[in-house]
Amino acid sequence: MKKLSYFLAALVGMSMNYAIAQTPKGSVLIKNATVLTVTNGTHENTDVLVQDGIIKEIGQGIKAPNGVESIDASGKYVMPGIIDAHSHIALDVVNEATSPIVAEVRMKDVVNPYEIGIYRSLAGGVTMSHAMHGSANVVGGQNATLKHRWGMSDPADIIMQDAPRTIKFALGENPTRVHGRGRGIQPRSRMGVEAVLRNGFNEALQYKKAWEDYTKAKSQKGNTDVAPAYNERLQTLADILDGKIIIHCHSYRADEIYMLINVAKDFGISKLVFQHTNEGFKVAPEIAEYTMGASVFADWWAYKFEVYYSTAFNAAILQKNGVITSINSDDAELIRHLYHEAAKTQRYGGLTDDEALAMITINPAKQLGVSDKVGSLEVGKQADIAIFEGHPLSSYTIPQMTFVDGVKYFDINSDENDQRQRVSPTEMVEPIMISQETAHRCMQDTEHLFETAEALFQMHQH
Amino acid sequence: MRKTLLKASVLSCMLGGILGSNLALAQSDPTGKKSITSTYAITNATVFTKPGSEGSKATILIKDGVIKGVGSNLSLPVEAKVIPGDSLFIYPGFIDGGSQSGISKPEDPKRPDDFDSSRPSDEIAGITPWRSAVDQYDISSSQVADLRKAGFTLVQIVPDGGMIPGKAALVILGDENSTNVIKENTALAANLNGARGMYPGTQVGVMAKFRDVYKNTELTKGRIGTFTSNSGVVRPELTPTYQAMMDVISGQVPVLFTVENDLEVRRAISLQKELGFQLILTGLEEYEAVIDLIKSSGAKVLIQLAIPDDKAIKAQKDDATEEVKAQYEKVKAAYDAAIAQAGKLEEAGIPFAFTTIGTKASDAPKALRAMIEAGLSEEAALAALTTNAASILGVEKFAGSIETGKLANLVLGTGPIFEEDTQIKHVVVDGHFFDYETKSKKKNADSGTSGGKIEGTWDYESETPAGSSGGKIIFKKEGNGYTGSITYANPSGNGEATADLRDISYTGSTLTFSFDVNAGGMGLTVDVSAEISGTSMEGNMNIGEFGSFPISATLNPTLIANK
Amino acid sequence: MKRYTKTFFAFLFALIPVLAMAQIDGEFVKPRSGKFLLQNATVHTITNGVLQNTSILVEDGKIAQVGSGISAGDAEVIDCAGLVIYPGMIDSGTSLGLIEVSSVAETVDNQEIGNFTPNMQALTTVNPNSEAIPVTRVSGVTTVLTVPSGGLFPGTAALINLVGYTPDQMYAGAKAVVMNFPSSGRRGRWDRRSDEDIKKDNEKALKEANEFWDNALQYHQMTEKGATLDYYPEMAQLAKVVSGELPLLIQVNAAADIQSAIKWVEGKDTKVIFSGVAEGWRVADEIAKSGIPVITGPVQALPTRESDRYDAAYTNAGKMAKAGVKVALRTDDTENVRNLPFHAAFAAAFGLGKEEAWKAVTINPAEIWGLEDQLGSIEEGKIANLIVSTEDPFETKAQIMHVFINGYRIPLSNRHIRLYQEFLERSLGLEKTK
Repeated sequence: MKKLSYFLAALVGMSMNYAIAQTPKGSVLIKNATVLTVTNGTHENTDVLVQDGIIKEIGQGIKAPNGVESIDASGKYVMPGIIDAHSHIALDVVNEATSPIVAEVRMKDVVNPYEIGIYRSLAGGVTMSHAMHGSANVVGGQNATLKHRWGMSDPADIIMQDAPRTIKFALGENPTRVHGRGRGIQPRSRMGVEAVLRNGFNEALQYKKAWEDYTKAKSQKGNTDVAPAYNERLQTLADILDGKIIIHCHSYRADEIYMLINVAKDFGISKLVFQHTNEGFKVAPEIAEYTMGASVFADWWAYKFEVYYSTAFNAAILQKNGVITSINSDDAELIRHLYHEAAKTQRYGGLTDDEALAMITINPAKQLGVSDKVGSLEVGKQADIAIFEGHPLSSYTIPQMTFVDGVKYFDINSDENDQRQRVSPTEMVEPIMISQETAHRCMQDTEHLFETAEALFQMHQH
Repeated sequence: MRKTLLKASVLSCMLGGILGSNLALAQSDPTGKKSITSTYAITNATVFTKPGSEGSKATILIKDGVIKGVGSNLSLPVEAKVIPGDSLFIYPGFIDGGSQSGISKPEDPKRPDDFDSSRPSDEIAGITPWRSAVDQYDISSSQVADLRKAGFTLVQIVPDGGMIPGKAALVILGDENSTNVIKENTALAANLNGARGMYPGTQVGVMAKFRDVYKNTELTKGRIGTFTSNSGVVRPELTPTYQAMMDVISGQVPVLFTVENDLEVRRAISLQKELGFQLILTGLEEYEAVIDLIKSSGAKVLIQLAIPDDKAIKAQKDDATEEVKAQYEKVKAAYDAAIAQAGKLEEAGIPFAFTTIGTKASDAPKALRAMIEAGLSEEAALAALTTNAASILGVEKFAGSIETGKLANLVLGTGPIFEEDTQIKHVVVDGHFFDYETKSKKKNADSGTSGGKIEGTWDYESETPAGSSGGKIIFKKEGNGYTGSITYANPSGNGEATADLRDISYTGSTLTFSFDVNAGGMGLTVDVSAEISGTSMEGNMNIGEFGSFPISATLNPTLIANK
Repeated sequence: MKRYTKTFFAFLFALIPVLAMAQIDGEFVKPRSGKFLLQNATVHTITNGVLQNTSILVEDGKIAQVGSGISAGDAEVIDCAGLVIYPGMIDSGTSLGLIEVSSVAETVDNQEIGNFTPNMQALTTVNPNSEAIPVTRVSGVTTVLTVPSGGLFPGTAALINLVGYTPDQMYAGAKAVVMNFPSSGRRGRWDRRSDEDIKKDNEKALKEANEFWDNALQYHQMTEKGATLDYYPEMAQLAKVVSGELPLLIQVNAAADIQSAIKWVEGKDTKVIFSGVAEGWRVADEIAKSGIPVITGPVQALPTRESDRYDAAYTNAGKMAKAGVKVALRTDDTENVRNLPFHAAFAAAFGLGKEEAWKAVTINPAEIWGLEDQLGSIEEGKIANLIVSTEDPFETKAQIMHVFINGYRIPLSNRHIRLYQEFLERSLGLEKTK
């Protein structure tokens, strides 16, 4: 029998089951561009040299090494690949909605590298997305951080293997509707949401102690203690308490944001990012002080009651209060123009170019724990790069090329018509999706939990 | 289902005396229908003893269900009943790596009043590893007869249910009077299907739950070890789930994982790598992208004995627009790739076999021919049906080829087995002969019918997982063909619904027709294939991906009288 | 000022009995009319080119004068040096005023029960105090079509200006009966009908539409001849379309449906406008040939088919315009109608061009709605719907400095701005109150 100690169990949740895949790495020299490094200023007429997937040099008059293709980007803008800190593309399942806590489920298990949304986002300069579990549960599943290597068939090849673990939490209307109002179990209110969280963490502490006691006892000779039950749900919560996982919490109202900050403080959790955070602006000083920031919509509001008291100035208020702030999509359409969403912080709050661009590059990279690897154009970082015709914050800009690890996956000049990787052998009539609703997947896979038409009516909410 | 069971037992009472069981002592038979011998010699047939062997003229001697000799110079015992095989082509009986013919899903257990969908019991959540396919199996089902008619003699029956439905078993498709069970507990059936409206509800939840069940079985085993060899140890809780999973974690029983496409294949293999069980992948439909992975994982493979429906690629019109033509090219390429996959498995050196779950047995020859045309060798196709399947199921000692000492499981055809015109004339299972009427080539479409008139009103009954249902089927003769309609319980509400029948074809005694049902916004096509004998109809109805279910009907006598 | 003080105190006194201790701080700014001179701007007239160093005199709700050297007289002068002025934008497809919070059914008033309800009047239910209205107009969208949705003929849409205390004050002078043309496509991810069922449903709906139309035609012909028919408000409303009194706004998206709608319209003596038209680019020539104008959008949308190019929705308007279709834009939104300029910018960048994109949110919709003498450009005598901006208002970072609707100077405030003002710097930081 395999011996299973607490410490071994702690390892299990990590990506042990995926061998570190050898993903494609490219080399390229981008010449004479306006280079928006985001962290290190903007440089005119500058070259960026990429070798084997890594940014090797940024400067002027760089000569292309042997065999390295050079691209003339005169008059064009080069920026770090855009990172979406909240997305549901490339997932076969979004919600395991059946229990208020499903920390044990792993989105890595259901990544689908064939989804057309990956290509479409590349065409918007997006090189990475955070493929999240949905928002039906107080504690959702563990998310996957993706690199948009289009054309792979192995999901492991689009999962960023060196990214830390993250997990989805959700507060407010969604979990209380699904569980309390949908199925008569806690939480039905924001009080219950807090209770579910505190119960979960306290049970996890007990679980952790049970395994520690067992492991310690086992080392003594002649000990006959038997192993506690294995529970990946509690193990994952224990990993959160041990700082091994970054929480990304779907939240809207200021009170619930503040509640989670208090819970986190009580349990010694510091790796916490708020998602959506529409009322984050009301508790901006608290978010700035205690968390890894907020990932917000540029201007979404009023689609449900908990976002009625919102402001499009949210990102700017957060930023000016010192919150690490990112702009996300949560949407298969919006992910294609995050550069434009980021620019809205200039209309609503007058942020600088660097501040606005940081919201879709280095800031989300920080929130995903990968800012040492991606999120800005710096020597030594992974070469995730987007080239634009026109300044990327202009509403008239058009993305031209997108690179992941120095490999070009989108080029507007050689963009083929039909990019599907999977075609049904039995379907001649392709479905035509008109409804806007198809892009929104935050509550996908929860439909079976609702019986009434009214519930269906509300289902598409974020 | 009760009615079918009743019928089955009546049938076996009737047949009990006729065929006798191999091991039973001889008895008198006042019916006079008992076979006088259990020794047969099929003489001078073209025999293909195993995949790759060239057919050669030989005689096969069978006694008590075992092959006693194969050759051209056998001396035949005097009790041997001689069957002239001069025009017959004989192959080893086919083996189905995974079958649900004759399997009916057990009823869902009743939910307790305080049911909490976030914490359902294992049984309600579809985690029932203790169940055995044998308990769900009815050999008298017409689906089993269809499977046998397609040449299958030995099958692994797979239980139906939730994410872990239970244990598979090996059975032969022999005489209904025998249990026909070769071995129970051959594999643990598993799939990625979530439970409806409860935990685990989706693939991502199922994968987590599978790990949970597996690892806690391991821990339980450890606790039992400590408990039984010490005193003062807290008694471990041994649930039916953990008990039934014990031989899976020990590696004795493989997991038969149903996975349809490459992504699901990867999911099953990742669980296998993480947990370490023996893995048989089954139900594969779309797997080209993972052939290398399958090979390196060492997992065994059962692919679906089916090809994609060709309606879409046949519906192409010459006057289509450029856009539609481009679309067609893609669909055609996808179709071609789909049927070429089996050949690629062969090329990669993976000894695969077939599963018939989700397929129609009578479509097997067409599927095999398409795979062969797309690159699969006939040898590999036959191996998939015989020797490969035998070794995957661990029965190569006594099944899979025509050799002395092996089970007398044979397929006797009118020609080379993969040729379009070849028909199966006899299937021998366990030494029992099952005879089939062969039709002369359908030269004229209006060939006579031998089963009886079908015009009139039939009362039918059918068994589906949703329960039994019934109604009327009306046929009218119109010119050379037939029109008709069927009534059925309206799935979207109360009362009855009526559908027009289409594609009605009646040749020999075989009647086939189709109709469309709308169930909750979902359109379903039902294909019925039945045999007519006098005023009775027995057959199967195939409902899309839901499987095949028995249907029986009788011609309403009052209406005949009224004529 | 005097008058203002009076009202203010009247207001205060009115509150006193209720809130004895109430304290009112600050001044509430309301839209106000008057005589304004917008001085020395770059004026983008849309119909008469770009005029440098030009001033606009607004009086009695109208553009009284456009030119240089206009004397201010008693007009309030607004210095617009360095700024640009455009006509207010028109969004020809929204639910503005009909929906407040889309997930709260009690605040959703854009749908009625029944498949044939052309008599449902969107204008009736427009909430002039919807929070989304001030949010929308400060972006430069001054006029919207607000559209009921639902069945085959869900109701009558109305064009409104985004200022006023009652729907009638807001009404901009155009209505249209809405028709949701029977769709042969899937309605979304949740639509699991088979191809056959979709086809059957589509045929059934078309048949029904024809029956309604034939009845309306007869209703109209009979009443023309003086017949007194039974009360039948639905038919009476559709008869107005048959007679040409109201245009028919056909919402249609899939290519096959657009073709079938063009055929359906043939021979009908009615003014027809297409709306949606997501796959218009596939059949652009046929639409152009039919002469039917198109309101398309949202531009920022996914392609309708997986096999389509990623930019199918971005390029749609441009492709139709190139084929000769008269194109206007819509957001098909409620709370974010303010994004119309950005939809227009995307269409502009992806083939429509800036000039045509501006027409698609100004003069083109004005013409489509038969209001080209009142809206859609900066010309003397037209309604004073104007926006003053630091730069091209389609540009994301542009700041809208002034908005005039119906000659009213619009306060640049709304919930979003007030929350910004309140929370940018909280008066109490992390410390606890005493």
